[in-house]
Amino acid sequence: MKKYPHRRQPIDWIRLVLLNIFFLLLCFLIVVPILYAVNISFSGSADSLSTATFFPSRFTWENYRKILFDYPFFTWLGNTALLAIGTTLFTLVPAVFGAYAFASKRFHGRKFLLYVLLILNAFPAVLTMYALFRLFKDWHLLNSFWGLIVIYSGSLTIFSIWNMKGYFESIPAPIEEAAKIDGANEAQVLFKIVLPLARPAIIVTSILVLISVWNEYIFATTFLTGEGSYTLAAGLYTLQHNDYTRLWPLFAAGSILISLPILIIFYAMQRYMVSGLTAGGVKE
Amino acid sequence: MKKNTPAQKFNKFVPWLYLLPGLVLVALVVVFPIGYTGYISFTNMSLYHWTDYGLVGFRNYVRAFSRADSEFVKSFLITLLWTVVNMILQVSLSFLIALGLNAPGLRLAKVYKTILMIPWALPGYVSILLWRVGVFNGEFGLLAKLAMAFGLGKTNFLTTYWGAFFSCLILNLWMAMPFMITMIDGALQSVDRSLYESAKLDGAGFFRTHFSITWPSVWPIIAPSVAMTTFVQFKQFDIVYLLTLQPGGNTGAGLQTVITLAYTTAFTSCNYGLSSAVSTIIFLIIVILFALLSRRTFKEAVS
Repeated sequence: MKKYPHRRQPIDWIRLVLLNIFFLLLCFLIVVPILYAVNISFSGSADSLSTATFFPSRFTWENYRKILFDYPFFTWLGNTALLAIGTTLFTLVPAVFGAYAFASKRFHGRKFLLYVLLILNAFPAVLTMYALFRLFKDWHLLNSFWGLIVIYSGSLTIFSIWNMKGYFESIPAPIEEAAKIDGANEAQVLFKIVLPLARPAIIVTSILVLISVWNEYIFATTFLTGEGSYTLAAGLYTLQHNDYTRLWPLFAAGSILISLPILIIFYAMQRYMVSGLTAGGVKE
Repeated sequence: MKKNTPAQKFNKFVPWLYLLPGLVLVALVVVFPIGYTGYISFTNMSLYHWTDYGLVGFRNYVRAFSRADSEFVKSFLITLLWTVVNMILQVSLSFLIALGLNAPGLRLAKVYKTILMIPWALPGYVSILLWRVGVFNGEFGLLAKLAMAFGLGKTNFLTTYWGAFFSCLILNLWMAMPFMITMIDGALQSVDRSLYESAKLDGAGFFRTHFSITWPSVWPIIAPSVAMTTFVQFKQFDIVYLLTLQPGGNTGAGLQTVITLAYTTAFTSCNYGLSSAVSTIIFLIIVILFALLSRRTFKEAVS
């Protein structure tokens, strides 16, 4: 059969132009709230109430200077980093062992456990917050970073096990069997063969855990109430909570500072996130 | 048959050794609090009965279901509506957008995709607070400015029930659709292109083609994510809470999903028994939904 010549019909041109207009409009609508915030963050405080919408009438770094140095921004940042890193370590160790067991061992009750973990993952953590709050109050773990790290780790361990199980399963079983035939014991197979092969999955999952803690606010604002233990979320919350007419430019600057690292990480590992999602959820 | 040797017995034990740290952690901070919540739901624990509480049987459950006294039934219905409307809009709009992104000849598709992902990349609470102040605020929010430009008076959509519902809906679509678009876009790559050629020869139009070729090949791939997303929508808390229910920033819209209801009943009204009853009911609903869904949807993932 003869191939069609690669010449576009007029109707195709019109369709492409319309499609491009549609996507340009859509993209604009999507970023409008962000553009507005960016603009406000570079404007003097008087501008925020005026009609200026997308271009500051007078460009200034003042809001960034204020939020960074007049507010305990670096304390908030330090607290958030401590929580995020602590939780990642506390989560990944049990999750790696768990994911390995689910992926390469067959044992009685395996499927049942996987279902249970899936249900627990669907269960909103907010609903048991009061129970945890009360228990932690009795155990004197309120306002303790360790307490919050343990809470975060509980639900994130479930997520991490599920997220890594898919990758671990993609490691061909013959590799492990060959190592065993060569006389490697259980621990050697895990530490010398499986973990090095699964390193990308472990790194991606660590970053996802790190991001979830960075983005969490309701537990952080409920369990850490002392001003010295505010996280970025709690800090930003107070900025919009109090007299936010005056603080709106500061709040905008803070929002952008908090979001930037996450944006960068997100786009740097977008490819892995998407493949991780599909690999974890669907298997051929 | 031979009896198990000690080595074989040990091998049976090995997976559990690996699972032990994770399971202990999950049992301690996820499962135990659920059980404790169930226990509290049978007591009259509240601000006035912080330590001297007692068992009251099913009284909290009766209260949850009696309309006059609690908002549970209303909030449950609105949560169902919220979940259904969200899923229908999310999946159908994302499907159309993903189709558009995959249209032959669309050179800027990658640029568009990158921009459309931005809401996904932002921290959720930052997005919500930004929208609260920058879009919905009655004085200098973008909507208020737009309304003023058209000569309408000051408007704050967050103060009425349905205004708050649709505001939350729009924001939720903004935040959640990038994920759905990505999933469908990924699934579209696996559609057999040759099917389109034959559909064209058969004279099938846009809707016919995508309804009988594209959708049936995409659906099995995205079904597990759609199921998980449905639960995420059902348990949406942050948007409703931060937009309309913040302490001191309550807009008076009265919009409560079951999750925000459980939260405010505990942390605002300090009625811990009732709150725990609501939580327990939701937990049971999730388990039942899961039992209905999981067999087919998650079979592959669990195997």
